Amino acid sequence: MCKITSENYVAEARKAIKNPILQKALADLQNRFGRGTAECYRRLPEGPDLRIKAHKTRMDAIENLDVVLETLADNVRKNGGHVFFAKDSQAAVKYCLEVARQHQVKRVVNGKSMVSEEIGLNEALMGAGIEVSETDLGEYIIQLAGETPSHIIAPAIHKTRRDVGRLFADHLDIPFENDPPKLTWIARKALRQKFLAADMGTSGCNIACAETGHITTVSNEGNIRMSATLPKVHVAFMGMERVAATLEDHDILLRLLCRGAAAQNMATYVSYIGGPRQADQADGPQAFHLVILDNGRSRILSDPEFREILCCIRCAACLNVCPVYAKIGGHSYGYVYTGPVGAVVTPLLVGINRAKDLCLGETLCGACQEACAVNIDLPRMLMVLRKKLAQGDPTWGVIPVDRTEKRIWQAWSWIIRNRSVYDLALRLMALGQKLLPQRNGMIRRLPPPVNGWTQTRDLRPLAAESFIRRWNRK
Amino acid sequence: MKNSGQEEFIKTIKTALGTSRAASGRKADLFAGDISAESRAILERIQNRSAADHKKLLDTLIEAAGPINLEVIACDDTGAVTTAIAALVREKDPEWGEQKGVVAWAHPLIERLNLPAALAEQNVPVFVTGLKKSTDEDIRQRIVDAFIGVTSADFCMADTATLVMRTRPGHARSVSLVPAIHIAVIKLDQMIADLKELYALLKWDPHERQEGLTNCLTFISGPSKTADIEATMVHGAHGPREVHLFVIITHD
Repeated sequence: MCKITSENYVAEARKAIKNPILQKALADLQNRFGRGTAECYRRLPEGPDLRIKAHKTRMDAIENLDVVLETLADNVRKNGGHVFFAKDSQAAVKYCLEVARQHQVKRVVNGKSMVSEEIGLNEALMGAGIEVSETDLGEYIIQLAGETPSHIIAPAIHKTRRDVGRLFADHLDIPFENDPPKLTWIARKALRQKFLAADMGTSGCNIACAETGHITTVSNEGNIRMSATLPKVHVAFMGMERVAATLEDHDILLRLLCRGAAAQNMATYVSYIGGPRQADQADGPQAFHLVILDNGRSRILSDPEFREILCCIRCAACLNVCPVYAKIGGHSYGYVYTGPVGAVVTPLLVGINRAKDLCLGETLCGACQEACAVNIDLPRMLMVLRKKLAQGDPTWGVIPVDRTEKRIWQAWSWIIRNRSVYDLALRLMALGQKLLPQRNGMIRRLPPPVNGWTQTRDLRPLAAESFIRRWNRK
Repeated sequence: MKNSGQEEFIKTIKTALGTSRAASGRKADLFAGDISAESRAILERIQNRSAADHKKLLDTLIEAAGPINLEVIACDDTGAVTTAIAALVREKDPEWGEQKGVVAWAHPLIERLNLPAALAEQNVPVFVTGLKKSTDEDIRQRIVDAFIGVTSADFCMADTATLVMRTRPGHARSVSLVPAIHIAVIKLDQMIADLKELYALLKWDPHERQEGLTNCLTFISGPSKTADIEATMVHGAHGPREVHLFVIITHD
């Protein structure tokens, strides 16, 4: 399992906000991708409404996931591939270790994958004495730094060129360098040796296609193609929801994925892998294994209020427009999945109470839904999570977060339904507020139990005379 | 099937979905067996394309290739392509070693270029990846040692400047991946408009669907790139640093 630190959301967010380098990197990222993606959607031949069609396509696949996955598995097996269904991360990791053992694997190259991060694959392989190299440049950088990704598509945006230069100097025994092209080519050279020496390649899967029996991997660097071509074994991991039924559906989703992820019409490399090499082919892996992962997804599937989140194709477009992500960065979320999608999916995967701050921290502004490649109603699900946190929910095992808050609202609801009590309360509050510390005509601090409200903002005082009294006086 | 965990896994999904409709009925709905009117229209459009239409697609390709740094060179015949490739071989330096070597697919169009003869005067060996006497290990080593890989492609999608390659004997996948420079050669009539057309062909065209996607279908749109260090765009992350695409306009 990947380490979960979602409990530290507030503390981590505070740190991030005070980090000027991160703030600049986040602002640049959003300026580039946020706007670019919106422009890309506008220029689609079908227009931005293609996202709505894509949503329907995704829901159709999700609501028939049993049939779609069985079709995918049958077709992969027809081509000579192996398919394993893993109910949790332990099962997935155990299977991969077994494959590694069978093939006497000593070195693994990992093409960027969120799922392998989710199941803690690298740690498990290393624990078995196997060398693992991340091969996406950003992932390689954070592997050297011993950190976790801070963005789904740009894992190392929190690192400066100087940080990278120092890391490479320390780990690769070379003189310090801080020119991005030169640094990239240093990594190219180091990783080329890893690709050529590896006996197993691991990867994720962007969108599989059930009717043809292929997984697809998408990258700009070519690292996933390397990982899936050069080593003798390829193990691909996919979340059970990452599948399209037909090529027609795949067409829509692949085009939206490239646009959502990096404002591109097409990524540099897209590979459709449907099995191992055939006897008469000169290269490609001799064995192909596809691991389909549940790990809490079937629980999401069983709840009609949250089922929609399984439409997500992890393009990260929502991160690139979210005003909260823009300030707190990816590490604050304390899990693989960050940003608005992380604020919904992380609580559902790791525990709603445990990751409660993630959904409480979002603004509900709706930018994420507008940017979403498949038009997922993230704000709606954030609200549902908040409701569960306020009222508790036995199905999800949610304990109400703050009983005081609930009591205050109950009291308020009683007050406003009783005219005379309401008038009296207003008058008392108008008098009482004079005792509170003020600045520039604003209340700076409220007394407990409502002091949380003024922790990060000032409050406008009540008018000396209520509107209705002034109205009546006229 | 045994121990694949499938049965229990699918059962869990069925319970979670709580649907009452039988799987067979839902399967029939999802995977319609008949070609749609839209796909039929796409196939007709592809079949009826004139040389002028293909030239228009070439213009679209050139426009799309610019921003992704893909070099597109239109040539009148294979002779012109051979001359241009010889010039590239002369001009470019090897990235990983001293020796210049070229690997090429065993493909009718590439064989017509006669590269071994054309590069002999520069003393640059050309290794063809379909020779019966070479082992897979030998082919791999030749590809690793080469600085230029020459391939053709099945199709080229104009809209996104994307080369589409199926995997076959003689068409080693790493030729377009491992050498520092990738040269692709196609004929003008291999141009198609976009992904929709490609999928319609692979799924519904009586000839193309026999082979289908094969066990590895690859799209390549320009050279390898990354922006992982301070969002600075750099070409040549892991795959080729340069991609040159020659489009032969007339048949010879």
